[in-house]
Amino acid sequence: MGKDMLLLILISLPLIGAAINGTLGKIMPKLVVGSIATVLVFCSFMLGLLLFVGLDQTTIVHLFQVAKFDDFSLDVNFQLDSLSIWMTLIITGIGSLIHLFSMGYMSHDEGYHKFFTYLNLFIFSMLLLVLGSNYFVLFFGWEGVGICSYLLIGFHYNDAEKGIANSLAARKAFIMNRIGDAGLLFALFMLLNQFHTLEFVQIGKMINASPELYTGIAGCITLCLFLAATGKSAQIPLFTWLPDAMAGPTPVSALIHAATMVTAGIYLTVRSNFLFELAPTTKDIILVIGIATTVVAAFIAMRQNDIKKVLAYSTVSQLGLMFVALGMGAYTVALFHVTTHAFFKALLFLGSGSVIHAMSDEQDIRKMGGLSKLTPITHITFLIGTLAIAGFPFLSGFYSKDEILAHAWMSSPVVYGILMIAVTMTAVYMFRLYFLVFHGSFRGGEKLKSHVHESGLTMTIPLMVLAVLSVFGGILNLPGIFFHHAGHWMSHFLERTTYGLNQIKPEHMDGNQSIILMCIASGVALIVLAWAYMTYVKKQATAKEDADMNAWEKLSSNKLYIDEIYQTVFVQPILWLSTTLSKQFEERILNNGIFRLTSAIEASGNYTRKWQSGFLASYLFWMVMGIIGFISYYIIKSSFWN
Amino acid sequence: MELIFLPLILGIIAFFIPTKWVRPFGLVASIGVLAVSIVHLIGFDPTNYVLILNPAETFPLGLTFKMGYDGLGLTMVLLTNAIISIIFLANLNREIAQSPKFTGLTLLMQFALLGLFTSLDGILFYTFWELTLIPIFLILYWFGKQDNNRALFKFFLYTLLGSLMMLLSFIALAYFSPNYSYFNLVQADFHGKAFEAALIMSGILFAFAVKIPLFPFHTWQAPTYTNAPMAGTMLLSALMLKMALFGMIKWMIPIGFEGLVYLKWPVITLGGIGIVYGAVIAMKQKDLKTLFAYASISHLGLIAAGIMLFSLSAIEASMIQIINHSIVAIALFLAAGIIEERLQTRNIEDLGGLAKIAPHFGFWFAVMTFISVSVPFTAGFIGEFVLIKELFSAHWVIGITAATTLVFGAVYMLRAYQGSMFGPTKVTSFQDLRWNEYLVFAILTVAAVGIGLYPQIIMDFIKPSITFTQELMSGDLTLTK
Repeated sequence: MGKDMLLLILISLPLIGAAINGTLGKIMPKLVVGSIATVLVFCSFMLGLLLFVGLDQTTIVHLFQVAKFDDFSLDVNFQLDSLSIWMTLIITGIGSLIHLFSMGYMSHDEGYHKFFTYLNLFIFSMLLLVLGSNYFVLFFGWEGVGICSYLLIGFHYNDAEKGIANSLAARKAFIMNRIGDAGLLFALFMLLNQFHTLEFVQIGKMINASPELYTGIAGCITLCLFLAATGKSAQIPLFTWLPDAMAGPTPVSALIHAATMVTAGIYLTVRSNFLFELAPTTKDIILVIGIATTVVAAFIAMRQNDIKKVLAYSTVSQLGLMFVALGMGAYTVALFHVTTHAFFKALLFLGSGSVIHAMSDEQDIRKMGGLSKLTPITHITFLIGTLAIAGFPFLSGFYSKDEILAHAWMSSPVVYGILMIAVTMTAVYMFRLYFLVFHGSFRGGEKLKSHVHESGLTMTIPLMVLAVLSVFGGILNLPGIFFHHAGHWMSHFLERTTYGLNQIKPEHMDGNQSIILMCIASGVALIVLAWAYMTYVKKQATAKEDADMNAWEKLSSNKLYIDEIYQTVFVQPILWLSTTLSKQFEERILNNGIFRLTSAIEASGNYTRKWQSGFLASYLFWMVMGIIGFISYYIIKSSFWN
Repeated sequence: MELIFLPLILGIIAFFIPTKWVRPFGLVASIGVLAVSIVHLIGFDPTNYVLILNPAETFPLGLTFKMGYDGLGLTMVLLTNAIISIIFLANLNREIAQSPKFTGLTLLMQFALLGLFTSLDGILFYTFWELTLIPIFLILYWFGKQDNNRALFKFFLYTLLGSLMMLLSFIALAYFSPNYSYFNLVQADFHGKAFEAALIMSGILFAFAVKIPLFPFHTWQAPTYTNAPMAGTMLLSALMLKMALFGMIKWMIPIGFEGLVYLKWPVITLGGIGIVYGAVIAMKQKDLKTLFAYASISHLGLIAAGIMLFSLSAIEASMIQIINHSIVAIALFLAAGIIEERLQTRNIEDLGGLAKIAPHFGFWFAVMTFISVSVPFTAGFIGEFVLIKELFSAHWVIGITAATTLVFGAVYMLRAYQGSMFGPTKVTSFQDLRWNEYLVFAILTVAAVGIGLYPQIIMDFIKPSITFTQELMSGDLTLTK
């Protein structure tokens, strides 16, 4: 079988799964439903591995043409290169683990088959997004993942307590994403007007042939692309949907809102690197937004008390870090962090899922504590995840963050300084979370405590696999100081066949500086760990209630009041406009204007009305008959003449 | 010939058959008509005009009695016949379907619509245009809410004014064309007097603007929709207003092309205003039907603006959107009708939690909501994509204005859906979908997804027609595309 065929099978497997479970899922036993979904995604992963091993050059597979217009056509083509296959491996690999986890996590849920249908559909859309060879297919997938995200966030819309909140969160996510989508749409239009094609490679080649022609338009296009990225990847100003999206079941948060979908914006930027390279201003904007997002989100995360909210803001913050890398032009570094982040953030989310499962759906960390003995596997794996994200030496997050910090140092010490603050805050809130959940005494009451139990194997196996990946994930892209020749394997791999990346020669810093930066980073992580241990274990500090908080804690706990600000600045005015237009403009001006006109006509009609029968209906009936008779007469006449 | 007159004959028969036969008769008759049009489709070559009536001489007043269709016309004929069948199917279990008046009038309406879409003569076009008004008016009068006279009056007045203007334009056209044959009208020579062409065009445009309806001529729409029976609303929004869009593509622009320079941007501006205006108002409406009516203004503003560009891509996309809008209109008004029939209310605030007690309805309404916000794999996705692209290429401001529909559409549609289907259940019982309603939703979904995946099938029909029309218009004209 050729590569083309394998690729198409790879893409269609999740769709087949969704089709089977969507139609027959209701009548099949849960185990079968879950297994079909999981196994199909896993098969996609295996096919992905096969293609990954055999990858030598960029291959484009033409499937069909959707529509051919005057000066452009919309085609469904797929592209196999190092970037797309790398993303595919992350999506299907992490995806199949999370499918497996869901089989246990969702086992008590009525909508089991629906859940797996949506999950498979999501994988399919995501594969379209990363495997498409043009912006059109990418947009298809882009919108598709948005819908799946909407469906899955609002999955428990029937919940007695949280039903409404869940569906509102889903709506918020969809609408905010749509704002970003509009940006993507404009980028597509500009690309079409400029290049008359949407194929990545063709556009890239045209640009490389004469870059000076496109510097102006590239600025506009990249700004629109970045707007799209801020929507999907939850950056300022469109980030507030992601924390709310935690309303979805936890595996969804792990898969969609941590490991895969939210990295679509980074994928988009890396994919369009040839455009961004022409637009230094956009890159500066990305850098600034990335820095702002990473700091703001980390700040908010410090005083959240919902275990998933902490992780959500942490995700926003880490995504910001990836955009910082993109803003500095370090595309492969951003992807390295995407990869390791997928490992440890999926691990943390699934771990939190396991905790929530054990705690009978309680998510408030003020009610947890001392879970290390009750749920040992979850505890160890969560600890590994925490250490990885906090940048503990030689774990995966340590390497990927260090790469970004190194680039920041080379670009400007100020950027490096701000990033170090964010990194420190990351360690602070993660260790706070870890110690509050797993150490100290149990604060949820005896009744709840008696129910706490370790999760089953379907849930702990994914945790263990992800924990191993979180520990060793750094090997993928070791810095040059460890292995002079084998270092940066992943960067080299990506640069080999991803169009545009092979043109950019990344700079690597010299060994001594690199070692110093690593030491600083490890130092920070270790100091924060020690501080957190002292505070939360030795001094037995717990999360404060709202009333006891000081000013900065209130700010953090209330999410900087950003939701409220958006409500006042954007939502309220539009709703006001809606009411005013319909009550004032529509009723008073348009409607009454017409009626004033009609009363004038009516007055003049009073005279003529006298000889009318008054029955509008009978009047109209004779009118119809007259017209029909008239037409029939002429038509019959003319037919005879023919 | 039978293509057009079959519904007329069947419509008259409907008045005379025993009452108990009326219910199945409507559906069977409309499917019969649909079958006839499908026979016409087989062996149809989009590059040719099929003339079904072509007398050699000219009658008094310049009447030529030419009738026939090209790809564009046949697409509309098929759309009409399919939609009429679906309307009968959707109403099959309702009281209204038992009425010979309703069945007969709907078939007469079909006759008038088919006549309009196949007219190749200005006077015929005008006559059929007027003729459509009578059945719909009677349906609204007989089957609408009792206290709807004010709304009906407004509707009647508006359309009458529009028709009057159109009539004046057609009379004026006699000075520029030897007769009223479509082919002569298209070649009407204004001797370079663009302003006069624009004047004539604006008369026709007024009639169309009322029917579409284009902002600010839309105020008849919401009250008329809310007072009309479900079938009436479906006829109005899925078919009648398409006459105007079809008229713009086939009649107004080709005839008065010289005048397009004057009218292009005003209409695009009004369309753009309508896109935002309709959407913003829809956001806070409580009545589902009113909400969908304003949503319709928003969607149609986009199509009307796109048509005014008169580029090939824009027209092709407009046609896709026209079909898509018919699908969405039927589906949404059916959903509103189902809710109203079961609960005697359409107010979102009185609804809630219906998805729980009527899961099938919940599912199909959700599918239709997604189709109406133009998600990928549905017809609206391609249509909106290309329309907004063409508008954006014409001017970025209108492009951005048009793109707001992407966001606003999601806002009001999700609010309507979630408000009625999610949340705490406020009603005790709600009968889930009946088989015919199920079937309607399924057919519409298949159609929307089919076109969404392969819109080329429609574009292949439209393209030759537009090219032909453009060739027909005198050679010295430079077209946008």
